[in-house]
Amino acid sequence: MKKIQCLAIALLCSLFAACSDSNSTSTDQHEHFEAEGWNLYWPDRKLAYSVYQGKEDTSLETLRVNANCLSEHLTVKFLDDEKKEVSAPKDDEHTLGWSIGDESILDIEACGSWGFHLKGVKEGETTLTLKVKHHDHADARTPEIRVIVDKALKAEDCPFQDDDDDD
Amino acid sequence: MMTNTLFRAVMGSLLCGGFLHFSLAQEFIQDLGNSTVIAEQSSETILNGLREDEVLKDEKLNRKISTTIAETIKNEPDIAIRSMGPAAARPVIKGLSSSHVTLTEDGSFCGDMSATSPDHAVASEVLTAHKLRITRGPQILAQSFATAGGVIQVNHQDIPYDDSLFHSNIANYAETGQPGFATVISANANVHGVSLKGEVSARNMGDMETSKGTLKNTDIENRSIAIGAAYSLEHFKFGASFRSFNSDYGIPGGFIGGHPNGVDIELSKRDFTLQGLYIPAARPDTLNVIFRYNQYHHKEFETKKYVGAEFAVNQANLRIEKFIANSGPFFGIHLGTELDSRSVEMGGYVFTPPTNSYAASLFSIASINGWDGLEITLSARLGGAFFRPRESVVADKDAIEDRNFALWAFAAEFSQIVAPGKFLTLDVFRTTRAPTIEELYNQGPHLAAYTYERGYHKLDDESGYGAELEFRDYGEHFNWRASTHITWFLNHLAPRATGDTNWSQLLPIYQVSGDDALLMGANASIETSAEQGFYAQAGASYVCGFYQNENWSDMPQIPPFHFHAEMAYIWQHVRAGINTEFALAQNRLDRYEQRTPGYITFGALLEFHWSLALANYSIVLRGDNVFNADVRNHLSRLKSVMPEKGRNISILAKVEI
Repeated sequence: MKKIQCLAIALLCSLFAACSDSNSTSTDQHEHFEAEGWNLYWPDRKLAYSVYQGKEDTSLETLRVNANCLSEHLTVKFLDDEKKEVSAPKDDEHTLGWSIGDESILDIEACGSWGFHLKGVKEGETTLTLKVKHHDHADARTPEIRVIVDKALKAEDCPFQDDDDDD
Repeated sequence: MMTNTLFRAVMGSLLCGGFLHFSLAQEFIQDLGNSTVIAEQSSETILNGLREDEVLKDEKLNRKISTTIAETIKNEPDIAIRSMGPAAARPVIKGLSSSHVTLTEDGSFCGDMSATSPDHAVASEVLTAHKLRITRGPQILAQSFATAGGVIQVNHQDIPYDDSLFHSNIANYAETGQPGFATVISANANVHGVSLKGEVSARNMGDMETSKGTLKNTDIENRSIAIGAAYSLEHFKFGASFRSFNSDYGIPGGFIGGHPNGVDIELSKRDFTLQGLYIPAARPDTLNVIFRYNQYHHKEFETKKYVGAEFAVNQANLRIEKFIANSGPFFGIHLGTELDSRSVEMGGYVFTPPTNSYAASLFSIASINGWDGLEITLSARLGGAFFRPRESVVADKDAIEDRNFALWAFAAEFSQIVAPGKFLTLDVFRTTRAPTIEELYNQGPHLAAYTYERGYHKLDDESGYGAELEFRDYGEHFNWRASTHITWFLNHLAPRATGDTNWSQLLPIYQVSGDDALLMGANASIETSAEQGFYAQAGASYVCGFYQNENWSDMPQIPPFHFHAEMAYIWQHVRAGINTEFALAQNRLDRYEQRTPGYITFGALLEFHWSLALANYSIVLRGDNVFNADVRNHLSRLKSVMPEKGRNISILAKVEI
C-alpha cells in the first residue's frame, strides 16, 4: 500500500516539476511603425496611388500593367497624421510586404528596400495590399488596391523594359 | 446521488412548510460517508436547495451537451453567448460578460484568458464536465466580487474522493453542424485506500456549416488529460490533480482589417491542484484548503510561420475555506480567504506591457432563520488588487503606473415562504471589480479580435448596487419561477467603439470607458412537474441597459429577448420531444453598433437510457435548427460575416460502468 501511495505522490510531484518549467513568451515586443497614409510614385515623381486615413485619391488612374510585362518602378512613401510625407523606416527590421487577391493574375517584383514593379501574369483584375512587415506581423497596411492586368504583350513590346537601373 | 438526495430532502422540507436547519444539515453530512466532496455542503439554505434544480448534471447535462460550455448552458435563465467563432464562445450572464463572469474548475480559478478578448476560448473541455452550475445570489462572493454577474462552476472531479472499487465513463459526441467528434474516457479506482483518477479527451471538429455555407477556419482540435489521487485518513482527506488542456482553433476572416484567411490560435493550459480537507467527527464543520498553480500559453498566427500575438500567464492561488454548520443564530457559515499571484507576459504584436498582479480577499457567507419563516443569507467579500506593470518598448512611459484597488462587495438574500411550495426571495447587493490588465494598459491592435484597443491606466474600479426579486411556485402539475433584476453601475467598465479607426492597421478603435449605467431585466420559466408522461418546459429572458447621459443611450453587446420551449413525452427509458428557440431583433444599440435581426429555430430530441450488466447506457440524438434558419447572434462578431451554425444533427453516446 505504501508503495502505491509513494508512486502516486512521486507521479504528481514529477508533474508539478514539469508544470513549474518557465512559461514565457517565445517572441519579443518591439517598437512599431505607424502610418496614416501611403503614396506610391512612378519614377518621374508622378503620383500613382494615394490613400490617407482610408480614403483613396480617386482622381488617380487605376494601376495597370500588361500580362507578361513589368510595370515601371513604384516607390513607397508614407503619410503621418498631419498628412506630411515621411520616409520609410530605415532599419533592417521593417521591410515591404504584400498580398495579392489572385496571384494567377498579378505578381510583384521587389526592387530596392521600398520599391517594386507590378508584374502581369494574365489578363484580369485583382487587388493588391501593401504592408510594412515587421518581424512576424504587419505594422501598417493599405486598403485593397485595385490593379488591372491588360492583355499579354511580347517582352519586346512591353512599355517598360527591365534594364536593371532601378536599384 | 448525494445531491439528488439532498435536493429531495430540501424540497420535502420546504413543501412541509419547514426549513432546512442545522440538525438536517448534520444528518446529510453523516450520510456522506467517505465518498463525497464535502465542499458540496454549501447547499444549506432554502434557496440553494431549490437552485439545485438548475444544475446541469447527469441526463440533463447529456441532453444539452454541445461544443462548448457556453453552447451547453445557453438556454439557462439569463444566459447568452458572446463569441467569435464556435470555439471562442463564452457565457454572458444578465447581459454582463468578460470579467463580470467568473469560470471555476473544481472550486478554483479556471486560469485562461477568455475574459479578456472575444477571440479567446474558454480553456475547458465541456465533455469532461460532470456538472455545470451557474452560481447565483450571495454565494457568488465566495469566488468573485462581481455579484451583478455570476460564477459558472465546472466540476471535473479531478481529485477523486471516491471509494468505489472501480468506476469508468466513456462518452462520444459527434455532430454534422461542425463535422467531427469528441471523446472522453475516464476511470476511477480505489487501491489500498488511495483513490485514483485518469481521464483523456479529444475533440476534432471541422469548419462550421452555416445556412449560407461553410465558414472557413472555424475548426477546433482539443486534447486534455487529467490525473488525480486522493487519500483519506480518519479526519483528513488529501488530494492532488494535474490537468492539461490543449486547443488549436480558428477564428474566421472576412472582418474589416482582418486577414482574409482568419487567424489560427494555439493555447495550452496546465493546472496543478493540491487540496486538503479536515472533517472533524463530532461536528460537521470542515476546513478546505486548495492550492492551484496554473500555466497558460496562447499564440495567434496569421500565417503558419509567424506568431502574431502571444500571451504567457503564470498564476498561483491559495484558497482556504472554513465551513461552520452552526454558530449562534447563524447556520451554514463559510469563512474564507484567497491569495492570488499572476504574471502576464505578452509577445508579438501586442501592446500591453508585461504585468504582475496580486490579489487578496476575505469572504464570509452566513445564513440565519426564524422570524416567521424568513431566512436571511448575508455575504461579504473584502480585498484588494494590485497591478505592477514593467517597462516595455510598446507602452507609453507615462502609462506604466502601479495601480492598487481596494474592493468590497456584499449581498443579502431574504427568502420567505409565502404559502406551501411558494417562495419569494429578494437579493440586494453591492458589486465591484477591479479593471483588468488589458483595460488598464493595452494600447494597440488585437490581431484575432480585429480591433484596436485602448485601455486607460487611470481607470477606477467598477462598482454598483442592485437588487433581484424572485418568485418560485412548486405546484402539483407545474413548477414556475419568475425573477426581475436591476443594477445601477457606477463606472461600468466596457470597451466601446469610438467610431475612429487606426489607419495604420485599418482597425476600428475600441476605448475602455467607465460610465454610469443602469442594467435591468427579467426572466421566467415554467415546466411540468411529472417525472414521466407528458413534459413541457418554456423559458424567456430579457435584459436592457442604458448609460446615464442626456438620451439614456443603450449599452453595447446586450442580448435581445430570448425564448425557448420544449415538449416531450417520457417513457421509462425513452424520451422524445421537439423544441423551439427564438430571439427578437436587437434594435437597442450603442453608438456604431450593428443591428441584429431576430430568428427562430426548431429542433427535435430522442433519448435512450438503460442499464445492463453493471453499466448505464445513454444515447442522445438531437436535431438543432432543423430548418436551417439564418441565425445571427447579437453578441457574436461573426454576425457581420456569416450566420451561426445551421442544421445540426448530433449524437451523444455514453457508457458508465
